[in-house]
Amino acid sequence: MLAESFNSSFVKTTSHKVIIPFYLYGAVSFLIGTILLFTSSIDFSGHFFNPRILAITHIMALGWGTMMILGASFQLVPVLVEGKLFSEKLAKFTFYLIGIGIPLLVYAFYSFNMGPIAKWGGRFIVLAVLLYLINIAKSIDNSGKNNIHAIFVLGSVIWLFFTVLIGLALVYNFTYNLLPKDHLHYLYFHAHLGIIGWFLLLIIGVGSRLIPMFLISKYSNDKLLWAVFVLINLALTFFVLFFYWMEALIGLTYIPVILILAAIFIFGYYCFKAFNQRLRKKIDDQIKISLLAVAMLGLPVIMLVFVITFLLLTSDIESNLILTYGFLIFFGWLTAIILGMTFKTLPFIVWNKVYHKKSVLGKTPNPTDLFNHFVFKIMTVSYLFGLIIFASGILLAKAIFLNLGAILMLVTAILYIFNVFKVVNHKAIKL
Amino acid sequence: MNIETNNPTKFNHAIAHLKNVIDPEIYLNIVDLGLIYALNFDEENKEVQCTMTLTTSFCPMGESITNNVMMALDMAFPGYDVDVHLVFDPPWGMHLISEEGREFLGK
Repeated sequence: MLAESFNSSFVKTTSHKVIIPFYLYGAVSFLIGTILLFTSSIDFSGHFFNPRILAITHIMALGWGTMMILGASFQLVPVLVEGKLFSEKLAKFTFYLIGIGIPLLVYAFYSFNMGPIAKWGGRFIVLAVLLYLINIAKSIDNSGKNNIHAIFVLGSVIWLFFTVLIGLALVYNFTYNLLPKDHLHYLYFHAHLGIIGWFLLLIIGVGSRLIPMFLISKYSNDKLLWAVFVLINLALTFFVLFFYWMEALIGLTYIPVILILAAIFIFGYYCFKAFNQRLRKKIDDQIKISLLAVAMLGLPVIMLVFVITFLLLTSDIESNLILTYGFLIFFGWLTAIILGMTFKTLPFIVWNKVYHKKSVLGKTPNPTDLFNHFVFKIMTVSYLFGLIIFASGILLAKAIFLNLGAILMLVTAILYIFNVFKVVNHKAIKL
Repeated sequence: MNIETNNPTKFNHAIAHLKNVIDPEIYLNIVDLGLIYALNFDEENKEVQCTMTLTTSFCPMGESITNNVMMALDMAFPGYDVDVHLVFDPPWGMHLISEEGREFLGK
């Protein structure tokens, strides 16, 4: 006889119906991103300001990175803030708006038609991010738990809002000449607010909670995390200030880079301590690839130091260095995290949907049995080789490396999407 | 393991069933994970009262774990009402993991 008498308000998490569409959208975007990478690989031996490269960057940053993070955040923010998500309806509206906006914007870049299609794409995206910001801010406010992880999340969403606003201004700038300085100047600004303010801040805020949780580590150090938060925001503030005096004080651009390097180093130390003090000795492949991604963060930073050094010494912008830098961020660090974390979160969401009332009644598969581990391993190998070969292709301007790297990235996306659909289509079975 | 009870005989039977409830992320049963705080039995009203926690509030697996606790106790004590009381004070901590649990995680 079951007397339903437990306080379910503590365990009602965000519905899978809200989260799964973001994951599917992200997976399809990754596939499209790698198809575009394959069909446009030769463009990576030219200048970075190229319609196809802009299209690839935006499908990767918005369609892949942002959509996956938005979806995961609707599940994880309640864990971080110890409170319910403010509105699932708002989350669905966010999905519809950004889901319409991204293809419009990417198509506009690809065809380099920056008229109404691009503007509508940008408007939809800005509106979607505004709804997301309201949802997250209200969730944190309602929970009353302003812990460091919640502060990281809120800070990152505010930076995302600024990023997309500047992005929209850049779209308008193609037709109205709104901005007083050179267009490329604002492009750097827009890109770094997004990469550092949105992706880096959010991933550190969420990762600093999830990594010890998944490793069952007793390590926690809020002081270090506050230091990371202050360093990143200080770097962004310096970056915004220098933006107006960039031409006169170019040497000072090292200051935000050093601050970011310090923040990454401290976060790396935090992960290392959490890893060392873990109770769970056996680490699964998904966590391994996520930890590898933390280490991979060093690559674009080193590349950025090279870019600035070349700029200081020669006053010349080395396009292949900038392209490698961008590639290592979107196809390297960001993709590695998502490849790992997808299979650390999605199988649990689907398992919970399928088995939450069945698991004690008979033996059921584990959540990690919902995807094919052999395919996951092949995907990881294909990804790592693809990343190294394509990045070498950009640096050396070798078409054969670019083509081979792009094929391996495409294979990675196909294997990834195979496993994502395998998880999502899982039906209840008893062992 | 330091779980409060008012009926040691029925307690062992309940624990044996609760050990079938596995945390799907950690693969450790919820008893050795330290999620169960108290198991009391009201013979007059035929009721099993389980006080438990989760590793974190709003744990994505929380609904599944609490549902399974109710089902496990229902199977262990047919004819009894099952009352699962979820608390977060005191919060779960790693010190609550049993020796067996630590051994399992350290493998």
